[in-house]
Amino acid sequence: MNLNFDEFQKANQTGGELDNIRIKNFDNFQKKGFPSKKEESWKYTDLKTMLYNNLSKLEVPNNKKTSQCHDEWLLKNFKHNQIILVNGEFVSSTFSFESKDKIKIKPLRVILKDKKNFNKIKELFDDQKNSLTSLNHALVRDGIFLEIEDNYSFNKPLVIYNFFNKSSENKIINNKCFISLGKNSKLDVLKCYKAENSIKYFNNTIHHYSIQENAILKQFSINNNLDNSYNYHLTNVKSHSNSIFENFLFSSGSSFLKNEIHCNLLGSYASCFVNGLILLNNEQHHELKTNVNHRYEHCKSSQLVKSVLLDKSSGTYQGKIYVEKEAQKTDGYQLSRALIFSENSTFNSKPELEIYADEVKCSHGSTTANIDQGSIFYLMSRGLSKKQANKMLIEGFLNEAVETITDINIKSLISKLLIKKINEIKFETNEH
Amino acid sequence: MLQITNLSASIDNKKILKGFNLKIKPGEIHAIMGPNGSGKSTLANVLTGKNGYQVEGQVLYQGKNLLKLPIEERAQKGLFMAFQYPLEIAGVNTNNFLKTSLNTVRKVRGLKELDSLDFLNLIKTKTKNLKIDEKILNRQLNVGFSGGEKKKNEILQMTILEPKLVILDETDSGLDIDAMKIVSEGVNSLRDKDRSFLIITHYQRLLDYIKPDFVHVLVDGKIAKTGCGELALELEKIGYGKMEAEG
Repeated sequence: MNLNFDEFQKANQTGGELDNIRIKNFDNFQKKGFPSKKEESWKYTDLKTMLYNNLSKLEVPNNKKTSQCHDEWLLKNFKHNQIILVNGEFVSSTFSFESKDKIKIKPLRVILKDKKNFNKIKELFDDQKNSLTSLNHALVRDGIFLEIEDNYSFNKPLVIYNFFNKSSENKIINNKCFISLGKNSKLDVLKCYKAENSIKYFNNTIHHYSIQENAILKQFSINNNLDNSYNYHLTNVKSHSNSIFENFLFSSGSSFLKNEIHCNLLGSYASCFVNGLILLNNEQHHELKTNVNHRYEHCKSSQLVKSVLLDKSSGTYQGKIYVEKEAQKTDGYQLSRALIFSENSTFNSKPELEIYADEVKCSHGSTTANIDQGSIFYLMSRGLSKKQANKMLIEGFLNEAVETITDINIKSLISKLLIKKINEIKFETNEH
Repeated sequence: MLQITNLSASIDNKKILKGFNLKIKPGEIHAIMGPNGSGKSTLANVLTGKNGYQVEGQVLYQGKNLLKLPIEERAQKGLFMAFQYPLEIAGVNTNNFLKTSLNTVRKVRGLKELDSLDFLNLIKTKTKNLKIDEKILNRQLNVGFSGGEKKKNEILQMTILEPKLVILDETDSGLDIDAMKIVSEGVNSLRDKDRSFLIITHYQRLLDYIKPDFVHVLVDGKIAKTGCGELALELEKIGYGKMEAEG
């Protein structure tokens, strides 16, 4: 694997601080390499081996401008604002339903090149969670820079489309998405992913969300289209007092997807909800890691993750709730439930509580079970085929996660996508 | 309608039914009574097609080999069992389940599928007749239902699916007198010259409300005695013990 950093570095020089940051971070990455099972937070995913086996010719994309996206991929009958990224590059944005003076939107590449603006996001490059973060800092080319003023509630959701066409084949795509939501403001973000013709690529994205006092940010990450991609999505959230962060994850489409969500509750009465579903078949491998950090009093956090594993797929949920000494009256909750459909599928769960405050309410639970044959018999005795019975049980099981979505239009959209996804499942290993 | 000849069934190498014979003609109501462990529920499960039993013998249903049919085909062809313990199925909406079940069965039977409005009208009438609170239709299937609600939900499914052969597996257990009356009325309203019933019960009391044509006493996997409705009353007096001794 030759990432051609020198060539990339030459082509992307800004003459500013970023050049050195890139060099330093690439060094850091080279010392560690891609994460492997030796690292605690990667113990269920050997990314290094996975990439060497599937993407041995991985390279950094060149600076050639890439094409646009196909209109038929856009969501229909769903009024929304949109940002389109193709192969990780910012292509366009439209905010048809909003007061544009309240919104500052820029392609990240513009911010990276501008010394004054770069200072605004410089601290993002301090984050050194793992070698992939270093790699992202070294190779980031584009992404989203979005600032929303105080006291502005979006009228319609913002959909961020992430399209990948054949120019992404065998490429490693590093981008960042920065969203800052002002005081008392409100925004719903949907992220959709679509790759052309089952091309293989590795997408390494870091999201930074800064949610000011009393603001509400809801993020719905919809990975439902089956593709051969490998993805690492890291989300860092800074939640200030009285703010709400709600995250829903639909983890189902890609060959490999690891979502890592770090919520820092940085003011009292802040809350964060990270819920989602994992629905996998064939040989897919998805992982979700959540890390909620309670640092102030009276904060609330909750995670509900429901997973269904078919065929030879495997899923993992690692969830940590950390409560600092000052964070009295914390209310933390976490539940993971998985349903296994095949002898060859696996689910790993690693719940963790680390509590230093003495007046808190925290609970966590994790169950993994086989599909209940009694329930299948009951449904079939009412005329349903085994396939219909399985689908009904999967939908019912995963629906509990969908029910956590507090926006009625988005809930209905995701519910429809889930039914469509379940209908595509073949149940080959399950038919006797 | 149903002809069972020399039926044997074992589970985990334990023989439960040992040469069971029974013939049910269209329009007849048969009751099977028997002590715990005599094989009543096994009979119901084997007829419905539950996995896990080693089965020998012959069962003809409407002239066809029932034992060869997959579970769902038995249901589609008009066999219905009301479960002794209806399963709680989390996440599955009762209304959706009923509609899917009915439309699957209607499709196979060559009937037009009902749209949401037609289905709603149908279900409204049926729930009213059975004095079922419509609210349960929006709840998860049997989850948190009371014992009575679960059994009524079974009878609701029966009246919607309009089966040809109904097996009631201890439907009376756990019912109070009022619920038992409602359930019995549901069953009686379906009585028809083309529809047969097989009622499995421990106690005679259900048979006060649903009058059977025949009563069979099942002891140790075989029918020990067959009679008319009075046999149930007799059993109530003398208990199963004497029958086992005779059998």
